[in-house]
Amino acid sequence: MQSNLVDFIQVLRTHEVRISPAETLDAVDVTKSLGYADRNLLRDGLAMTLAKTPEEEVIFLHCFDRYFQQDLADFSMSDSSLPEQEADTSAPQDTAEQAAEFADAQVTALQLAAEDSATLQSLLKTPLMQSLVSNDRTELTMAMNQAAEKVGLQDIEMFTQKGQFTRRILDAMGEEHIRNTVIELEQQESPALPVLQRYRDTLREQVRDYVEREYLLHAEGKNRQFMDEILSKTRLNNIEHLYLHKVHELIRKMAKKLASRHSRRRKLLKRGRLDMAKTIRKGIPHDGIMFNTYWRQTRKEKPQILAVCDVSGSVAAYSKFLLLFLYSLQDILPKVRSFAFSSHLGEVSDYFSDYPVEKAIELVNWKYGGATDYGSSLLDFANLALDDINSNTTVIILGDARNNNGDPKLDIMQSVYQRARQVIWLNPESRRAWGTGDSEMLRYQSACHFSAECNNLKQLERIVDQLLKSSR
Amino acid sequence: MHTQDFPQLASVEKIEQGFESHGYICSRKIATAVFLAFQLRKPVLVEGPPGVGKTELAKTLSELLETPLIRLQCYEGLDEAKALYEWKYGKQLLYTQVLKEKLGDLLQGAQSLADSVAKLHQFGDIFYSEEFLEPRPLLKAMQQEKGAILLIDEVDKSDYEFESLLLEILSDYQISIPEIGTVKARTTPMVFLTSNNTRDISDALKRRCLHLYIPFPTVELEERIVLSRVPGVDEHLRHQLVGFVHSLRELDLKKAPAISETIDWARSLLLLHADHLDEELVRSTLNVLLKYEEDIEVTDLELRSLVSSNATDPHAA
Repeated sequence: MQSNLVDFIQVLRTHEVRISPAETLDAVDVTKSLGYADRNLLRDGLAMTLAKTPEEEVIFLHCFDRYFQQDLADFSMSDSSLPEQEADTSAPQDTAEQAAEFADAQVTALQLAAEDSATLQSLLKTPLMQSLVSNDRTELTMAMNQAAEKVGLQDIEMFTQKGQFTRRILDAMGEEHIRNTVIELEQQESPALPVLQRYRDTLREQVRDYVEREYLLHAEGKNRQFMDEILSKTRLNNIEHLYLHKVHELIRKMAKKLASRHSRRRKLLKRGRLDMAKTIRKGIPHDGIMFNTYWRQTRKEKPQILAVCDVSGSVAAYSKFLLLFLYSLQDILPKVRSFAFSSHLGEVSDYFSDYPVEKAIELVNWKYGGATDYGSSLLDFANLALDDINSNTTVIILGDARNNNGDPKLDIMQSVYQRARQVIWLNPESRRAWGTGDSEMLRYQSACHFSAECNNLKQLERIVDQLLKSSR
Repeated sequence: MHTQDFPQLASVEKIEQGFESHGYICSRKIATAVFLAFQLRKPVLVEGPPGVGKTELAKTLSELLETPLIRLQCYEGLDEAKALYEWKYGKQLLYTQVLKEKLGDLLQGAQSLADSVAKLHQFGDIFYSEEFLEPRPLLKAMQQEKGAILLIDEVDKSDYEFESLLLEILSDYQISIPEIGTVKARTTPMVFLTSNNTRDISDALKRRCLHLYIPFPTVELEERIVLSRVPGVDEHLRHQLVGFVHSLRELDLKKAPAISETIDWARSLLLLHADHLDEELVRSTLNVLLKYEEDIEVTDLELRSLVSSNATDPHAA
């Protein structure tokens, strides 16, 4: 049972419930003190140690029900495969009796046929067929579990593998024997043929269902991790529109991760409320005379972020994602002001806070899209925000620095550089292209604390991480 | 705390019964959490909307076990001097004064300076000792001989740094005082932390706790709660008022009425000698249930349909 529990925790992990080894030990303690007798009690108890948020609890309950499924696979053929027999019986208690009678009739039919066929005779003696005929669910479910373990079903990763695994499990259970016998009976045109065929179909159906369930349990989570991994490494302009919502989710997750690390800082100051206790304590060596005073006042430092995003045609493919990132960031961090520009610049914080993401991005693109003019945009930026830039401000600029050979207005960049704590430039172009043609990147770079190439989510994550670390 | 000392906590069923006898109707899940907290000696992090009985849980448990309840209300700026311990500075100062006066007598016979220092070292160093220690809630909980219920209320309101302070206490039930050393709990207290989810609690803290989420109760459970808290309300009215509160919770409100509001409302209706709900009565007492003007306005518009749906078929909900 303990290995079962560990296995179950593995399943939870693939479904993005984070569980540490220490929590695994806690879970073992829980099962020890609650016992296995009461399923609901055990479920509640495990949920308390393993799930840490209401969302995780939902996932947990879902996985628990699937993993510790109580009902055994149903191998009786009475409901699904015999509709014509029971269509005319109205009372339900009759149905059960008739089904039993019918099953008996089938067994006799098989035994009669077995007298003519040696293969069928040997088949009837196999444990698989015997438990099928007697509908011994426990035995069959166990055989199925054992076969699944033998072929390594828990390693299933892709839905395309389902058929393959179904076949392998059937083979491991000895279905081949039934199959051969069916072929033989077909050649003999034996009356027992449909009966045996029905047994075979039920078995196949049950195994297929079983594989399906296990696939959902083990592979669903793995697939999601796989997709996330691929998406975060793909260049942003290559990501299909279809995956936009996935990316959005990913960015949100990332921004949240970053935000949780980014809390306001407190700093000891030289004024404020007197820390009497500390002052007296420090005065004790001086015979109780308080030479030094200590202050209790702490100040909260609130880093402010100004983000400027190029939405012109040359970076159109990226700007959507950069805006998406800005949107998520503003959603999560306090004090983020966002600006967008191509030929002129304006503040878009309000769009981001008032509208849902798709609408906001569309509005920004529509309002500020066009040909690039960094010079006049920087001028606008200076008018709007230069006075607000202080030693707590981080300025992030997202753009390719291609200025259509206009005046770059480097002096404004420099005054921003001098005032701000940090100026960060993220350029979607690769570093080799910087400074070629009409790119002013090398010049602007001189007025940045940090500039980097940024065209996939991994890079973006690394950069924002650095940014937050330095602003702590 | 040991199992033999507290037969009230021997099984999940016993806990359920015990709580019920003290007027706290709890779901199976809550009882399981208490049972596990006791068996595994782990703190419980209780989350849920305001007014579902998070704080009440700890209070009732302390009544049930007849152990003291030590409560620490968290707020922004709470520090160790208010939560853990503080030195009695005034007395420490006096002590140095007394020591100075007595110093002559004590050092009598010392010839050289080295001799006096050696003599000085022979006295016990009581300047930093438990005698001059003023225990604050967390330390107090550790010092209780027969165990205690420690309630750390609204832990999400405290600062991030304070959470780290709690880690040592919650995992090892001990407090490190630099001047003295480590103070271990005499008897492991049962710890409950409550949170209203105003911010995310750190993973390190969550990992050390059992996680209990208390949602709004089901209709049946809430009726039992009202019955136990306000026994004077007759069955018909109870059905009606609980049904009405439940339909209120489905509206889009700023703050949905919680159990505590349901109980307050039931009490007010009892005072008004009401035996059934009608539109006028509900309108005049709505301020007991809803705490925001906007919410009252929203509800006012739908009052007629809400009341009639609960009045015509009280057993439907």
